[in-house]
Amino acid sequence: MENLPAIEVLSLHKAFGENRAVQGVSFEVGQGEIFSLLGPNGAGKTTTISMLSCLLRPDDGDARIMGHSIRSDGNGVKSALGVVPQDIALYEDLTARENLSFWGKMYGLRGSALKKRVDEVLDIIGLRERANERVGKYSGGMKRRVNIGVALLHKPKVIYMDEPTVGIDPQSRRNILDSVVALKDQGMTVLYTTHYMEEAQELSDQIGIMDHGQMIANGTHDELVKLVGGQTRIDLTVNAEPQRILGAWQSVEGVEQASVEDEKISLLVADSNLVLPHLFEAATRQSMRITSVDIREPNLEAVFLHLTGRALRD
Amino acid sequence: MIRILDIAFKDLLQLMRDFKTFMFLLLMPILFTFLFGYAFGGFGGNSDSRLPVGYLSQDNHWVTDSLHDLFSESDLISLRENVFLSPADLEQQVANGDLAAAIIVPHGYGRDVLKNRTDLRLIVIADTSSTAWTSVEAELLRITSRLDGAVRTATIIERIDSERMPFHYAFEKTLDAWNDPPIAVTETKSPAVAKVSDSGAALAHTAPGMILQFAIAGLLTAAQIIVTERKTRTLQRLLTTSTRRIDVALGHFLAIFLLLFTQFAILIVFGQVILKVDYFRVPEATVLVAVSAALCISALGLLIGFAAQSEEQAITFSLIPMFVFSGLGGAWVPLEVTGATFHAIGHVSPVAWGMDGFENIVARGLGFESVLLPSAALLGYALLFFSLAVWRLYASEEK
Repeated sequence: MENLPAIEVLSLHKAFGENRAVQGVSFEVGQGEIFSLLGPNGAGKTTTISMLSCLLRPDDGDARIMGHSIRSDGNGVKSALGVVPQDIALYEDLTARENLSFWGKMYGLRGSALKKRVDEVLDIIGLRERANERVGKYSGGMKRRVNIGVALLHKPKVIYMDEPTVGIDPQSRRNILDSVVALKDQGMTVLYTTHYMEEAQELSDQIGIMDHGQMIANGTHDELVKLVGGQTRIDLTVNAEPQRILGAWQSVEGVEQASVEDEKISLLVADSNLVLPHLFEAATRQSMRITSVDIREPNLEAVFLHLTGRALRD
Repeated sequence: MIRILDIAFKDLLQLMRDFKTFMFLLLMPILFTFLFGYAFGGFGGNSDSRLPVGYLSQDNHWVTDSLHDLFSESDLISLRENVFLSPADLEQQVANGDLAAAIIVPHGYGRDVLKNRTDLRLIVIADTSSTAWTSVEAELLRITSRLDGAVRTATIIERIDSERMPFHYAFEKTLDAWNDPPIAVTETKSPAVAKVSDSGAALAHTAPGMILQFAIAGLLTAAQIIVTERKTRTLQRLLTTSTRRIDVALGHFLAIFLLLFTQFAILIVFGQVILKVDYFRVPEATVLVAVSAALCISALGLLIGFAAQSEEQAITFSLIPMFVFSGLGGAWVPLEVTGATFHAIGHVSPVAWGMDGFENIVARGLGFESVLLPSAALLGYALLFFSLAVWRLYASEEK
């Protein structure tokens, strides 16, 4: 059991009519690791999570959570995992304590064991003092904490967190990221989906990058960055139509890839120091001025751009 | 099983914290019962729900007085006497529907009855195509036969032993004997009683009508809980626990049922105690209809909850059945007055069956057997709605 992968995904497929949402996704997460699924909206992250939670039945392939197959042992899977959905999946008319008690019952807890665990979770999420207030009156960050607390009630071995930081203030976001690390420290395995590359970069032992329903890269942060060959990304804006300069910059020696997004030109280059003077010269020749330059060392965004030709936020 | 109870308890807790629930549960139906009751008959009259029959006597004979007494004691007809009205006036009132019929006793009628002659007969004015007439006719025949029988019996007895049993004594004894007949006959009230403009009959219709209508209206709140549960993905989260879909459906169903049955119970007691609508005449029948109707409407609420994609849709999906089922099913206007075709079409609505069940008890004076068919129909609808709701739940969560 100790050497068993916490999550083992084997060529999952899921289509909704003509839309092939997940196409042959495979990956493996060791026990006690944080694995981030990174990808833009519509990449297939949530569909994958839904299949791993037994909410959706895969068209093909299988996955095992702590050795339990999602196809043949749904109850085993459900007992091993806690799910933190992207939405605040709570009853706002009920207090935090009532919510936790209800969800605890749904996870099979009863009596004094339930009461004890609810108190423990209230301590973990730091809401014991305000446990008897209705969730509807909480701030967004507090709701997020209760949302996470629900998934911890039955002490699962694996936790799925589906974009838990969407739409919250920086302080609450920081609290949540800290709590994810705390869960890992307690020995839990965390499957974390996000489209914020900084979060994936900060938290993860391993990162899987998804796009159009496929896992296009998978590895540690360093392994993924090596995929872009240590390339630096330069984002520039000019005082004219970007397409006019794009061809000239693409032909500059050292520029390996160029694209335009939202009036901004993104270049992947081997060495920014060598390339930048040539970019300015080319702009001058075209009677254009460069109005901003943003140099970014290799990161996951660059990896995504390298692999897909698009920025992650798209 | 325990999870079903947990979900039901949670739903009830949510519902009880919503003021809208209280409004739809109690205040609105009570208010509208009064409003519709007033509109149909007001609250100034007595609670006599017998068919109104005009009575004009042109004969002063003591036999005619006995006939009048028999009519006055009737459980089915209520004499409306006004010495200032002419036969033509009575005819007009019957034509207007103000009276179910009118009886005119011609001069010399009592004397002819006594002499066993049939030269003079009672004059009856009625719309013979109406259902009310059937009931009035039967009652007239019963009473006149009783009078005629008493005269004949007294005549025979007087011939046998006039000293010990003089005619008048034998006549009175014979009439009295009918008050304790050897067989008990249950009389049905005509459906046309609903046309009668008195408060008892009006409330006997509007009180059940409002109960059923506002039970459907109350679904709005219950359905919104289910819609919100799905919208916020709380339902999906429930399904990541070992709770089964059928447990979720049954839990919500139980909560709505308990809510509606409580509403029914409160409004039935209110109707009985305050409005004097006699639900407790056959209590087991009332309970059966209330349970069947609550199960049916709860299943409809479940279906609305699982079918609606948004709160706005839930409102629409709740209001449509409320108006269509209530209007079509006779919650506002009795189906009996709408004609045979509409009466038949109306029974597509489960409300019509609920109305039949309640009205059989409180308006038509029928027994327990009379609610079995309406209850079976309501339970059939409950099964249909519940099956569709569960199918919808399974289908929508697989997308």
